[in-house]
Order: sequence, then C-alpha cells, then structure tokens
Amino acid sequence: MSISEGTIGELRAKGVEVKRLEREYYEIFIGPQHPGSGHMRIIVRLDGDIIVDADPDIGYVHRTMEKLSEGREWIKVTPLVERMTIIDACNVTLPYINAVEKLMDKRPSTRASYLRVLLCEINRIASHLYGFGIFGVFLGHSTAYMWGFGDREVFLELAEILTGTRLTYTYHIPGGVRRDMPQDFPQMARRAVRYMRNRMAEYEKIFLNNPVIVSRLRDVGVISKTRAAELGIVGPTLRGSGVRYDVRLNEPYEVYSELDFEVPVFEEGDALARTLVRMEEIKQSLNIIEQAVDWLEKHRDEPVIAKEDYEKLPKLHKELYEKTGRVKLLPTQISMKVPPGKAVARAEAGRGEIFYYVESDGGVMPYRVRVVTPSARNVIVFKKVVPGHRLMDLPAIYGSIDYFPPEADR
Amino acid sequence: MPPRVAVKNLKKGGGLFEGVKSNIEALIVGIKYFVDPKRMTLLYPKEYPEHRPGYRGFIVLKKDVCISCAACARVCPSAAMKMVRVTEADPREPGKARQKQYPVINYQRCIFCGYCVDVCPVEALYHLPFHDITYESLADMFLTLEAFQKEPLRPVEKEGSPVVYEFDESAGLVKREKKGGA
Ligand code: SF4
Ligand code: SF4
Repeated sequence: MSISEGTIGELRAKGVEVKRLEREYYEIFIGPQHPGSGHMRIIVRLDGDIIVDADPDIGYVHRTMEKLSEGREWIKVTPLVERMTIIDACNVTLPYINAVEKLMDKRPSTRASYLRVLLCEINRIASHLYGFGIFGVFLGHSTAYMWGFGDREVFLELAEILTGTRLTYTYHIPGGVRRDMPQDFPQMARRAVRYMRNRMAEYEKIFLNNPVIVSRLRDVGVISKTRAAELGIVGPTLRGSGVRYDVRLNEPYEVYSELDFEVPVFEEGDALARTLVRMEEIKQSLNIIEQAVDWLEKHRDEPVIAKEDYEKLPKLHKELYEKTGRVKLLPTQISMKVPPGKAVARAEAGRGEIFYYVESDGGVMPYRVRVVTPSARNVIVFKKVVPGHRLMDLPAIYGSIDYFPPEADR
Repeated sequence: MPPRVAVKNLKKGGGLFEGVKSNIEALIVGIKYFVDPKRMTLLYPKEYPEHRPGYRGFIVLKKDVCISCAACARVCPSAAMKMVRVTEADPREPGKARQKQYPVINYQRCIFCGYCVDVCPVEALYHLPFHDITYESLADMFLTLEAFQKEPLRPVEKEGSPVVYEFDESAGLVKREKKGGA
C-alpha cells in the first residue's frame, strides 16, 4: 500500500519522521546445498519475479590442484587433474600430457593418437548426456534425466572396456596410452553408435521438440555473437551464439585434422541453440568413434606408445603387451626428468576449451601447472546474462551452459 | 573430408498445428516406453555385474614373486601403497632369518589408478575384476601383509547372481544372466 504525498505531508506536520525506503529486493540463496546448484551458490536478487542481480559464489570445491601438481612427479599429476571434471576425465587430462610431450619432444604413435581420440569422443558423449540429464531435471522433465543417465551408461561401459574403469581413466601417458583396445571392441562400439543414432530421434521427439521444453528455452538467455566474444565464453555455449571456434578445428591436436566431422554452430544464441549444439555434437562424435575404430582395426602393427619407447621395454613387458594389450610402466618413468622449458596445450573438452600451461625446471616434478577450464570461463554468464530474466529461467540458462562447479574451482 | 563448420538454424516456432503435432509425438514416445520399457537397472545385490578381466578392481600381491623393488610404493599417486619390513625364514639358507620388504595397501587412500600393477617389473600384483567390498572399520581398510595376499571374498557373490551387460542396437545395453554361475 502506498501512501500519497498528501498523507506524508500531514504526518510530517504532526511531527512524525517519514523516510522514503530504498526499493527493496528479495534475496534468495540458491545453493550450495540446493539440489540444482551443484557445489556452488548463486545469490539472486529479485524484484518480484524478475532477477535484477545474480552473483555466482564459487570456490566450494577448490582443491588447489595447480599447487598440488607442483609436489608430485610428472605422471602422478594425471590422476589428480582428472578429478576436476571426473565426467570428462579423458578430455581434461589430454592437454596436460600434450604439454609434457612438447617439453620432452616426444610424439605419440599414430595408433595411440587414434585411441586417445576414440576415448575423448566416447567421453564427450558421456559428458554431454550427463549435462543433458541434469538439464532435464532442472526443467522438471525427469524422463530426460533418466534417459540421459541411462544412455550415458552405454558409453561408460565402452570406456570401461577400453580402460578398465568407468570414469577416472588415467589413460594417457607421455608418448602414448596405457592400453590397447580389446579385439572385440570395434564391434561393440559400432553397436553402441548405431543404437545412439536411432535414439537421438527419440530424444528430439520427447525433449527437444516438445513444446513445453521449447517454450522454456526459446529466446531465453540470449547471448549475441559479439557479446559471446566479449565475455570470453567457450565451448558449446560459444558455438550456440554463432562463433566458429572449436579447438579441434582451429588448432587441431592428435589426429583430429584427419577425421571427417562437422562442428555444429547455431546463430540464435539462446538456451535452445546451446542445447542443440550439444545434441548435434553427440551425432558428430558418433561419426568420429566409427572412423576411429575402423582405422584402429586396419592398422594393428603399431604399438600404442612411441616406437622408441616400445623398443626399450624388457622382454617380459613386450610379451605381456602382445598378450593383453597392457603397456607396463617402467620404474624409470616414475622419476622421469622433463627438460626445462615452458609449454602450452589446449583441447576441446565437453564444455569447451581447456588450456594448460606447464613449466619445467628440469626436475622430476612440474615447476608450474596452470589450468584454465571451460567452466571457469563460462561462469560469467550467470553474472552478465541472467539478470533481466524471470526466476524460472535461471535453471534453463544454468542447464544450457552446462556449468560444472568442480571444473571451475579446480 | 577434413573437419569443418556447419552452421545450422533453429526451427521456427510453429503454429498451433505444429504444437499439437509435437505434443502428440512426445506422448507417443512416452507411451511406447511405458508399454515396453527397456530397463538396464542392476538389481544389486540380487544381481551383480561380472566385469571383464581388464577391470581395475582390488589388488592382490603375489608375495613369492615380489622382488621388493618398491616401485609400486613409489609410483602410487595417493600414497596408498607402503613398504613394510618383515623378518622371515630365508628360503635359500634354511634355519636362518632374513629381512625383506613387501608392499601393503591402504584402501582408504587407493584410487584404483592401476599404476602399481602396471609398474611392477615382475607382475607380482594383479587386479581382481570387482570393486564392491565394504569394511567394518577404517582400520580394516589398511590391509596387513597377510590380507594383501588373499583374494578378498566378494560378499555379493553369496546372495546374488552374476550378470553381464551386452551392447544391443535397439536397447543400448542389455543385461543378461551369466551362464554357469560365478
Ligand atoms: S591402484 Fe593406484 S592408488 Fe591404488 S595402490 Fe595402486 S598406485 Fe596406489
Ligand atoms: S613393484 Fe612388484 S616387485 Fe616391486 S615391491 Fe612392488 S610388488 Fe614387489
């Protein structure tokens, strides 16, 4: 109830002190224990239903990974850093190994490169499906959640057969990978790929074309092309705004330049476009998996580590590799010294570009490991894009940028 | 063809007809799976998964093979493996005792990265293809040298039946009962 100027005048005349209040906003804390927020908090200030200010409060899962890396030997950093994005462990550890390889002037064998790409793409699909499931449940569409998590299991099973574990693969070592694929792997991979291709049509019907979902996503959280470049966001979030940037394309690593695939880009920049970028990427990753297993099946003669390293293996190790496909580590690799120098490497992880700066002083441990993760760069969307939307749009925008707090916090 | 950009556009928001059509399509898919659900849920512990031999699960030491090189303890990224010094009978000189070091594992810390198994020069360590054992106390998770040499019993084997997952083109993963028991 507002008081008219007249009444205020009367009250003042009676000697009552009248002060005008600043406009009041309603403040809500989403997280850190909120089921939807992950390990973070968003402090949202509301005017009625409209968000006037959103402040992402990050750092709840900061584990000082960069510092910890300085205190462990080179190969022991991999199991550490993969824990920042456990659902995308292959993609986030690859550039670290690439940087170390650059310092050591070592090149992985082509077979190892194909295996890396194979696991990375399996991982990308699993990671997108995970994000998709969470997105579904944000919007109250629990079918999408169940589907996403169920179908993710198909690809985790593939990864498990390849590496021996579902999530924390620790698959790359300088100069190669730790295991070759089993003989029957291509067959299984092809079946999984064909299944997922057909399944995508159903995803479209039940979720992406569903009018209820479309109305929650269309024209929500629009980021224009210039704005996206200004904010410095990466990954599907960037490509959903029409910027043509994908590390696999712009700065190819491993064997990506030899593969036939598309980098989907949408111009609209809204939550729907970002979701579709991810769905289209799954289709492209399926193509890559097929190409990779085809190649791997045809070229069996090369070892999965660099040739010169393979030569140096003792006889027992070679026999074991022939028999089981497992590459043994040499005790000398534990305390291996990396020539002094600085190297950078980047890769396209599920959520966008991940960047490593690695510096060596010639010792058995890194002198410095710097990581810039995609989520750390995308978190700015909360601050800059969310205000002006309704509160119900917050989960839609959150889900569409696929923000993963442990990755941002490192 | 090399990798390339593919610019796409969203479908335009359709009218009433489009809306009704896509609603019905969504419902049809929903009903399809309501009538014929494709479930892959594991009914643990009534069923338990049989992993393939390469699975990185619990680790067992073959003490007779071990040459006490300590590589496994040095490679462990989470300091889960430690060497212990034991006095034992010397097999080469009967009646005499000798001191030797062997690794023991602390499952409170182990992350199952498998580095130790991969680095052992004589294959004295191996993985078991499972991962589901619980301990009554934290202290139990620090295995003694004796316990580290025994393959732990998997409690679920007593109550459940083993299943394997197979890839399938129409259902993704299909759960199948494993023939012939564990
Ligand atoms: S599996 Fe990894 S963490 Fe566990 S004891 Fe072996 S090296 Fe250590
Ligand atoms: S690496 Fe193998 S041989 Fe060496 S101490 Fe460990 S178990 Fe024994």
